[in-house]
Amino acid sequence: MRKESKLLTFITNNTVPLMFILICAVCIPISGFSASYLINEIITRMGRNVFLILSLLIPIMAGMGLNFGMTLGAMAGEIALILVSDWQIWGIPGVVLACILSIPFSVLLGWVCGKLLNMAKGREMITSYIISYFINGIYQLVVLYMMGPIIPISHSTIKLPRGYGIRNTVSLLNMRQCLDNAWALRIGGVKIPVLTFVIIGLLCLFIIWFRRTKLGQDMRAVGQDMNVARDAGIKVERTRIISIIMSTVLAGFGMVIYLQNMGNIATYSSHSQIGMFCIAALLVGGASVDRASIGNVFLGVILFHTMFIVAPKAGGVITGDTMIGEYFRVFVSYGVITVALVMYEAKKRKHKSRTGAELAAAQKEEAVK
Amino acid sequence: METIQKKTLGERIVAAANAFGLPRMIIAGFLLVLFIAAPLVGVNFFTQITNTINRFSWNAVLVLAMVPMIHSGCGLNFGLPLGIISGLLGATLSIQFGFTGPMSFVMAVLIATPFAVIFGTGYGWLLNRIKGGEMMIATYVGFSSVSFMCMMWLLIPYTHPQMVWGYSGKGLRTTISLEGFYDKVLANFLKIEIGNLSIPVGTLLVFAFLAFLMWAFLHTKTGTAMTAVGSNPTFAKAAGVNVDKMRMLSVVMSTWLAAIGILIYEQGFGFIQLYMAPFNMALPAVSAILIGGASVNKASITNVIIGTFLFQGIVTMTPTVMNSMIQMDMSEVIRVIASNGMILYALTRKTEAAK
Amino acid sequence: MNVKTRRLIFRLATVLVLIGICALMMVIGRGHTVYLDNKTLEYNGETYSAMNKVTVYVNGERIAKLAKRERGSSICIGQKFTMELEIVKEKGDEPVKETFTVKLPYNIDGVVINLPGYLAGLPEEAWRSEFVSLATDTSENAGMTDEEILGGDDMGLGGDF
Repeated sequence: MRKESKLLTFITNNTVPLMFILICAVCIPISGFSASYLINEIITRMGRNVFLILSLLIPIMAGMGLNFGMTLGAMAGEIALILVSDWQIWGIPGVVLACILSIPFSVLLGWVCGKLLNMAKGREMITSYIISYFINGIYQLVVLYMMGPIIPISHSTIKLPRGYGIRNTVSLLNMRQCLDNAWALRIGGVKIPVLTFVIIGLLCLFIIWFRRTKLGQDMRAVGQDMNVARDAGIKVERTRIISIIMSTVLAGFGMVIYLQNMGNIATYSSHSQIGMFCIAALLVGGASVDRASIGNVFLGVILFHTMFIVAPKAGGVITGDTMIGEYFRVFVSYGVITVALVMYEAKKRKHKSRTGAELAAAQKEEAVK
Repeated sequence: METIQKKTLGERIVAAANAFGLPRMIIAGFLLVLFIAAPLVGVNFFTQITNTINRFSWNAVLVLAMVPMIHSGCGLNFGLPLGIISGLLGATLSIQFGFTGPMSFVMAVLIATPFAVIFGTGYGWLLNRIKGGEMMIATYVGFSSVSFMCMMWLLIPYTHPQMVWGYSGKGLRTTISLEGFYDKVLANFLKIEIGNLSIPVGTLLVFAFLAFLMWAFLHTKTGTAMTAVGSNPTFAKAAGVNVDKMRMLSVVMSTWLAAIGILIYEQGFGFIQLYMAPFNMALPAVSAILIGGASVNKASITNVIIGTFLFQGIVTMTPTVMNSMIQMDMSEVIRVIASNGMILYALTRKTEAAK
Repeated sequence: MNVKTRRLIFRLATVLVLIGICALMMVIGRGHTVYLDNKTLEYNGETYSAMNKVTVYVNGERIAKLAKRERGSSICIGQKFTMELEIVKEKGDEPVKETFTVKLPYNIDGVVINLPGYLAGLPEEAWRSEFVSLATDTSENAGMTDEEILGGDDMGLGGDF
């Protein structure tokens, strides 16, 4: 009896990952991809995306939920890469320069985002979601109209023929996979981008270390209960802003790593879906709105990408139309986020009503005494 | 009352301006500038007015759909796509069953209604489970349903030759022309045309009728109870109002209005747009009602009318006026910044009642 | 020195270090495309004739085998371009292998080097010129409106992750 209920709680606590394992288990054989192809793809995509997804962890720690505003960092990274690409800085130095150059943009955007989120406590997620749309408008204004006449762009390969604005794809040919190819290992046809993984490892270590610092502890306290934290002398607003700025800066670095792997920037669309996919991947790994670990990130990336790779093919085999598979994976991404959000809100409400009931019971006892 | 009278005129203006809100003022001012600039740069004023009124008539009902959920305290209905999907199901099924002309519109409304009620009930049930987090979840319910329906548009065995892909004979097209079905059925009814000015009276009448119904409903006993649930749920509960039932009713109403709204939009636009098209239809409607003066928990019919007019005015005027003024079409960017800025402004106000 | 000034100094130092790294990266990461011409060059009335065959190696990799009047290209990150040339001056000669390092100007993207001129030890302006692309703009962006450039909302379909 005990054991059974334990199993049940395990299943209810890990519904999303288990569902995904099931989907993958069904789709992999149907898709008919070879193991080495799958492993190769997943490792490449891990190197590409883990850094971005890790950037989501810090706001979750500070109780600010899933940071849909990570898109801002992605935009900062893209602006930096466009400039670096125009200055013709290639290879690893180009990547490093783009990372550093993205910092001021990220900090500024993150600060704005944090300020706004402090004005919308309790609905951070929807607000950060709308912020990402709003800043996307500003980004378009800067990139499509101001780059050229105001921000000097000299290369016609980047600029639109009309003389201002950036083309809708910017090639990063000379930066393509420069991080991934440095120190790359090949084991049985599988390329392992060692340097990228080392960087990801360093970020993981940083996050583990950061949790133990004073600031990290403060963030966790703020995430637990803002009022208690404020009473304990923590500057709640400031801590929250810092957590968003850190997340934005990391997302900026993540975007640079992501784009150097892709080899080109889709100037007006690269960032638009990145937040949604990263959040979906994190949730697939078993994270929830208020709790996420590095383990969730890795598990999530593996499961989500397996689905992402096999779904179109499997959908094509089952229904005879690959579009169905493509729609399916989009549906699953949105569906997962929906389910996770619903479970989180339902749990929060249950918790609230339970503490309410406990409080009432305690008061009754008090009255009886 | 007395305290208000004691205020000087200047203070009152400042107070009114504060209540109106800075972003709203910027947007209204911007539109005013556009209207003034239009004749100066050689854009035909009446054509612009006609376009604005036309687009107003297409979109007004979609914006009206926001009202019930705001009243019941469910916040802004970012889940509008769910209702839109009910409308799309009604539209495509009505054509599939062989209805043509104005009859196809009536049938589309009739078929869409049960879908809207069923989806709305499910959606309302879900939102009752997650009070406090409605807006985010509404957004994702909308997205999930749109992407789910993307698969369905391919899988449901539609056969009507004007709707399915020509070469494969199955799966719906991304856009379906309504010519021969209900293209402009409402717009051409009692249409007034004076020179360059043309007013789709029929569509406006339908909107006026629905808006009147909404207004009347909000003044019935059920309507006031719904408003009470939104403004003070604890009080409403104490007064014996079934909170969950009221919220559910508001969600169903909102979903149904969205379904009707998209049908009216289609008859004006002349096409059914499927697949990813409903995806971003919630944000314009949300920002329109906010521009009209609504907040996250307060909205009126006047807000709907003013908001839709301002929003659609900007959407139609900016491209033409900007283009003839500076040869740069920044309308898309301006629209994105203005509409999302407005939503952002509303979300970061502190006026909301604690739930 | 109190905590505040120390923190300020620390922050300033970090910013300076980052700016320093940026500057360094801009120098060592500047990329150039190097075009190598094996063409007869006329300079100050003298003729430096093209070689029969030149094979170019960069980092041990053969990037071009140039007959007369041919052009090869390579990319170079940084302002120093090192190449190994295997020269056959006249038909039937024994190939001579030699390594050369060319300094590239920072502000030129595409550098054209005339090999006969360079090998003859002429001054820079004789053998170096800037590459000018003559390709007309036939790209997809040519006649697009802003709305088309911004793209419809395909919501990540077809996009990759």
